[in-house]
Amino acid sequence: MSRNRLKPVRMNLTSLMDVFTILVFFLLVNSANTEVLETPKQITLPDSVVEEKPRETVVVFVSPDQVTVQGETVAFVRDILASNDPEIGAIGDKLSELSDKVIGLKTQAVTQSREVTILADRSVPFSVVKRVMSTCTGRGYERISLAVLQKASQAPQSAQS
Amino acid sequence: MARQHHYRRRTKDPAELDMTTFLNLMVVLVPFLLITAVFSRITIVELNLPSSAAGAAPSEPALRFEVIVREQGLEITNGTSMIAKLPKVEGEYDLLALSELVQALKHDHPDEQDASVLLEPEIEYDHLIRVMDAVRSAELTQPGDEGITRVALFTDISIGDAP
Repeated sequence: MSRNRLKPVRMNLTSLMDVFTILVFFLLVNSANTEVLETPKQITLPDSVVEEKPRETVVVFVSPDQVTVQGETVAFVRDILASNDPEIGAIGDKLSELSDKVIGLKTQAVTQSREVTILADRSVPFSVVKRVMSTCTGRGYERISLAVLQKASQAPQSAQS
Repeated sequence: MARQHHYRRRTKDPAELDMTTFLNLMVVLVPFLLITAVFSRITIVELNLPSSAAGAAPSEPALRFEVIVREQGLEITNGTSMIAKLPKVEGEYDLLALSELVQALKHDHPDEQDASVLLEPEIEYDHLIRVMDAVRSAELTQPGDEGITRVALFTDISIGDAP
């Protein structure tokens, strides 16, 4: 009786190990194909059904209060709304600076593509997005892509069917 | 005596690996990879923007469908005359009706690829993407087929200011 209690309880961990091993391999493979764009935490992108993959480009974040080019804050949305300029000088200067003074291989690849990916929050008014876009085209970045979160299907359509 | 007994019992048991260290590794790795795993996938919408260097388009296409997003609702024109006006339904844009209209337009003009989405300045960016989605493609359920097929409509979308 007492000897039984002293004996360590042996759990059968084989199935748990199986699950863990499969999970680890799945997650390793999943994390191996790294995303070009990191999912931003502070903004919510709109949903869309497009399937195009993002490429290495210059990234412009438009959050509800500030605009960031390649990770550097350059302008505030309220200033953009207050001014009537069709182009935003600060963003344009930053874009020109990026293409003039290339530091690092990644920046070189990014600026040579002459492309811009705009990640904008859903609530940003169109006038701000439009001015950011016209600034980009004005400074020679003529291919513009809008980043969105992929969703499975068009919601109103599937509700109908 | 005791030793002998112990020895005999061991041989009866199946050989067992000590998996504690491996288990530790797994227990650490699984939460770590779960946290870093990205489940929302970002895709991009490519725009067909008029380049500022090219100036005016050399030849305007005969037909150019325009969807105008206003504060009050959606308007669809073919460049010169209005085709339809879709007021908001319960504070939301009537994207279903828009999708049906665009499908009908595509049916009448199957070769047309271009369309414009024109917005008023105060419209939220989210609506732009949703209207673009409705104009770009539609999902249809085929009779007798359980799956949903996505039909491409006007894929070259330009955006601009509402007149």
